[in-house]
Amino acid sequence: MSTLDTLVDILTRDYCVAREQITAEATLETLGLDSLSVLELMFKIEDRYKVKITDDPPTDLLTVSDVVRYIDSLLPGNSATRNLNQLEASTDT
Amino acid sequence: MTLRRVAVTGLGVVAPLGASVEELWKNLVAGRSGVHRLPASISQGLRSPIGASVSFDGKNHFEPPRLRLLDRVSQMALVAARQAIVDSRVDFAAEKRERCGVFVGTSMGGAETTEEGYHTLYAQQSDRIKPYSVLNAMANAPAAWIGIDHGLYGPMLTYSTACSSSAVALGEAARRIQHGDVDVMLAGGAEAPLVVGVLRAWDAMKTLATEDAHDPSTSCRPFAATRTGLVLGEGAAFVVLEDWSHAFARGAIIHAELTGYGLTSDVAHITRPTIEGQAKSMQSALFAANLAPEAIDYINAHGTATSQNDAVETAAIKVVFGERAHTIPVSSTKSMHGHLLGAAGALEFVITTLSLARGVVPPTMHLNVPDPACDLDYVSGHARAARLQTAMSNSFAFGGTNAVLILKAVPVANSA
Repeated sequence: MSTLDTLVDILTRDYCVAREQITAEATLETLGLDSLSVLELMFKIEDRYKVKITDDPPTDLLTVSDVVRYIDSLLPGNSATRNLNQLEASTDT
Repeated sequence: MTLRRVAVTGLGVVAPLGASVEELWKNLVAGRSGVHRLPASISQGLRSPIGASVSFDGKNHFEPPRLRLLDRVSQMALVAARQAIVDSRVDFAAEKRERCGVFVGTSMGGAETTEEGYHTLYAQQSDRIKPYSVLNAMANAPAAWIGIDHGLYGPMLTYSTACSSSAVALGEAARRIQHGDVDVMLAGGAEAPLVVGVLRAWDAMKTLATEDAHDPSTSCRPFAATRTGLVLGEGAAFVVLEDWSHAFARGAIIHAELTGYGLTSDVAHITRPTIEGQAKSMQSALFAANLAPEAIDYINAHGTATSQNDAVETAAIKVVFGERAHTIPVSSTKSMHGHLLGAAGALEFVITTLSLARGVVPPTMHLNVPDPACDLDYVSGHARAARLQTAMSNSFAFGGTNAVLILKAVPVANSA
């Protein structure tokens, strides 16, 4: 599952966000996530990817694409570009 | 200054004997018990693994994002409060919202959240405390959520006086209405103490009832010689209290009138009740209601089934009512729904309201062996039909805050 798919899965399942609302530029705030929800989201990302986030998440995690980029930066290798392209493709249809 | 009259126009419960007013009433009148053996996951290590839990799953009422913000205590509070609002048919959108408020009583607050946090920290040795922990666990969360959900811009307060918390919340709300500060108040209590840490803490006090070897549901025995202590319960109960003229003007069905509220403190010992403190709170409520003791037709007792409380409460009732004490029906419905701590006073107020409105005194169950120190008419074993005009609901507490509420039946023309 791509980073994007995983994030979409978390947002739709745990935060009841409608799939069609999730676009690259959608802000977490418009999707109904407040600052505490974003902190909680980091726990879920840790669990999914078995990574440990030691530093506080960056304060400029505003949009879905920001979060995808951030997750990818935590993972070995860098697949951010691929994920974002995929997101744009999926929201075009 | 003429005090305004206080109408009870809405009732809501999420309680061990029923998650609706009708279900609760049906079971109470039938003398059924909500006390049972608790699952091993929470009762392991308890000397007496019993409690009165509610068949309630927050998932049936709230979506996941919302649920994460709500401790069980707030979940039950929100559902019971909504029931009371629906019952009252009050439309807050049509009210002056700053003249509508919410007062809640709770003793342990968001106990489940607190427990989860400690479990994460000490048992799992993890630093991943949930970001919402403070907001879920804070004692004023139930009141805050009710206020937010229903847009109540008036006073929003939380009272914590242990087992009298919600009786205090109702009494204080009634006073705000009497004095003209507000028109409509949601008032009630909520408690969700059935988690390992809280159960073990109560167990350590040695105030909990011993489990009956043959039938755990009979373990809570108020006023009986065989009583061994209280049984912890969970739940929430709310009422809509309203300025009488306001209720009348909008054509509300009025269940009863709250006419008296007495509040005194024992100032003796942190747990031991006093006859004088309890008696003075009953007298204070009678004074507020402008009633003589002769007027009371039914007393819903605090009746916890602890050795201390039941004997002291019996003696206090005798101080207030004299010889007549022996002819007034006195019942402890805790024998069936257990002790809801901060929610107890509100739940028993709802029961007393139903008792007045329906002319039935619910029984004290499991009182098979009388105690010479408890020699009143406890309506043992079976509900009783009775014409009731005025009733009293007692709530006493660790810490010594005694709260008594008096209710008056409503002439049939105004009632349901």
